[in-house]
Amino acid sequence: MASFTPYTYIQCPCHDTTTTTTTTSQSRPAEDAPSPTSPHSSDDDDDDHNFDPRAPRSNYSLYPLEYLLWCDVCHQIRCPRCVAEELVTIYCPNCLFEVASSSLKTEGNRCTRSCFQCPICIGPLAVQSLESAPEPSLLSADNANTATTPAGPWILSCSYCNWNSSEIGVKFDKPQGIFAQLQKLRHGEDSHSKHAVGGDTSPTKTDSVAATMKARFSAMRSFYSAQNAIANPSSGLGDYGFSSPGALSRIMSIYSGNNAGSHKQKSKGTMTREADSASEGFRALDLDDSSAVSQLRRDGWDSTVIGDQAKSQVEEGARFAEELWPIPYLLRTKRSKRCPVCRHIISKPESKVANTRFRMRLVANTTIPSISIKPFNPPPALLKPLQPVQYLLTFRNPLFDEVKVTLATPATTPGRFASRVTVLCPQFQMDPSTESGMYLVDDALKDDNKDIQGRRRRGTEGGTHQAEAGKIWERGHNWVTIVVEVVPASLSLEAPPALLRKEGEPEPDLSPLKEDEDVLEIPMFVRLEWEGDVSHDQMSTSTGKEKDAREKKELAYWCTIGIGRISQE
Amino acid sequence: MSSSNKRQSVLPRMPAGPKAPVNFSSSITIADSALLAGKHTINIGSESVVHPRARLDSALGRITIGRRCVVHERTSLGAAPASAPASDPTILNTQGGVTIGDYATLEVGAVVEAGGTVVGEGCVVGIGCRIGSGAKLGKHCTLTPLSEIQPGEEVPDFTVVYSNGTRRLDRRGITELKHKAQARQIEVLKRLIPSNPTKFQ
Repeated sequence: MASFTPYTYIQCPCHDTTTTTTTTSQSRPAEDAPSPTSPHSSDDDDDDHNFDPRAPRSNYSLYPLEYLLWCDVCHQIRCPRCVAEELVTIYCPNCLFEVASSSLKTEGNRCTRSCFQCPICIGPLAVQSLESAPEPSLLSADNANTATTPAGPWILSCSYCNWNSSEIGVKFDKPQGIFAQLQKLRHGEDSHSKHAVGGDTSPTKTDSVAATMKARFSAMRSFYSAQNAIANPSSGLGDYGFSSPGALSRIMSIYSGNNAGSHKQKSKGTMTREADSASEGFRALDLDDSSAVSQLRRDGWDSTVIGDQAKSQVEEGARFAEELWPIPYLLRTKRSKRCPVCRHIISKPESKVANTRFRMRLVANTTIPSISIKPFNPPPALLKPLQPVQYLLTFRNPLFDEVKVTLATPATTPGRFASRVTVLCPQFQMDPSTESGMYLVDDALKDDNKDIQGRRRRGTEGGTHQAEAGKIWERGHNWVTIVVEVVPASLSLEAPPALLRKEGEPEPDLSPLKEDEDVLEIPMFVRLEWEGDVSHDQMSTSTGKEKDAREKKELAYWCTIGIGRISQE
Repeated sequence: MSSSNKRQSVLPRMPAGPKAPVNFSSSITIADSALLAGKHTINIGSESVVHPRARLDSALGRITIGRRCVVHERTSLGAAPASAPASDPTILNTQGGVTIGDYATLEVGAVVEAGGTVVGEGCVVGIGCRIGSGAKLGKHCTLTPLSEIQPGEEVPDFTVVYSNGTRRLDRRGITELKHKAQARQIEVLKRLIPSNPTKFQ
């Protein structure tokens, strides 16, 4: 509670794709209904309506700068939510083996090699041999021996929590192709004999093993497709299959009108029936929990699964620890990202699994200035209501061009508790960024001087109000610091006197403080202007005849700046 | 290069107090740089291995290490209890040492507090674990790295403590194999660690 890290979130332009379409095409009143919190929403098609960082929809468009991508062609910010993703590589995170998308369709989204996770602790499982004795050899010294003479059944074992697959009675004949062996054990004929190891087998368990989801689904599908084939020729009025002679005769009978009634009865007779036996994929819910109860009594709390374990299982429904199966690793993907508007690729990873580099990655922080927030004076833990506080915002220019920045904030923050915000210098220029080390040294020297000067100034004046309106507080070779003054609102919930309230104004919301409503967030509109190189698509049309052509560029976006929490006294 | 070129420790040397009374089996392996201190007896059973810079402090009570144990580097046996549990502050007052059962392994940086603490036979105490004062570990327990056992706690046999204190039973049934492996490991360690028990006697 006491500690609060200031933050800056930037709004992706994808948030108002709906509103831009409404201006051109039809309007959707449900979407554009003015929210009761934002004061300017009555004129909602207006360009200058304020952005409310607390609106529920804002959650989906606000991102830290590091998350944002940049489309060079559209010249716009792109967020993880609005980019179009394409799979580049599908691979297993454990064995780093690439999986073809065709085999993905037939074999599912899990690794079909010998990669398994422990069902207890999700650690990786290793294949180890059981010696001729029933004890598995889990220790390295013994393994070295058995490696030369691989013998006996094999098990999967977890080296972290000491789980092994013999606890659920699973042993393998050979150390390769564990996935197929496990599939066979689980879904094959062996499933009944396997559990004889565990002693008494509860009926629920064998049922759930025998009729797995997959087997049931395929049984059901074949049953119902057969049923459909029977039913279709005499199906109701809704779907005519004109090619089938049955439908044709039915139409004829409707028009002739002679034996319509009798036909209807006939069609009722050939109605599809529902699956009702196990071979058709039907499974009656077993309401007899006595075996589960007795097992719970016998083995206690420790034999049950916890929610996370049950959720990470491939097939649902596990209730006891012995129903937990090794989890084949979920495959992962590497994805390339495209701009949703111009379809240009803005991020593309190297297709080799082991290579973590990117072939292409256009990130927003190569264009958008980063904003860092620092309190002017050493901050108290919480902001005191109605006491002005000053903050230093440092903008750092990543571009190699001079950038003109214009800032705008609403005078009061949106929401129930309106704090006053004043940007003392809403317009300034940032010098270009350079990679040359010389400038950095210069900058460092300058910084030192500034620091001394600043301290001196603070020493002589002693007050907190050295920041002048309209002036930059500090500037470096590619950064500028400005001062923002904030008067935090009081969080007391008192109804305003009835006399002051205007006619027809809505009842003030006096509900208790909601979560994070005491956080002071400033919506800020940032507009950048600079002269840069002509962007790529125009270059190609002009066939590069003016290499050093410059064009004026402009970018504007909303961001929200979290300053701190307001004290609740 | 002579050994005088070695960097000397800047820390002040251990106060050269009276040596702790020891009772070593003749077949143990104890590194020269192990630290033994305290006024109670330190017993070490046959074929046990004490790595360099393991600290055995018998100030609060007798330390007994069983047969074929491995005490790794920077472990601390008989450390002063960190804090008394609020429910029962009397635990700290009980004088008592540390008892380590046969075939136990204490991995790097493990701390076993003094006060009648027992580590059972065949236990594996993982890296950086802390066993509170007066806690009793049953036989063949496994503590995964950085686990903590509260003071005065009793842990049943074959318990595996993992993932922030979650517990389960080890049903592998491989105690015999583990013993064999421990014996093999000790054979190797004997060759690797120069033993100097006379320094402490």
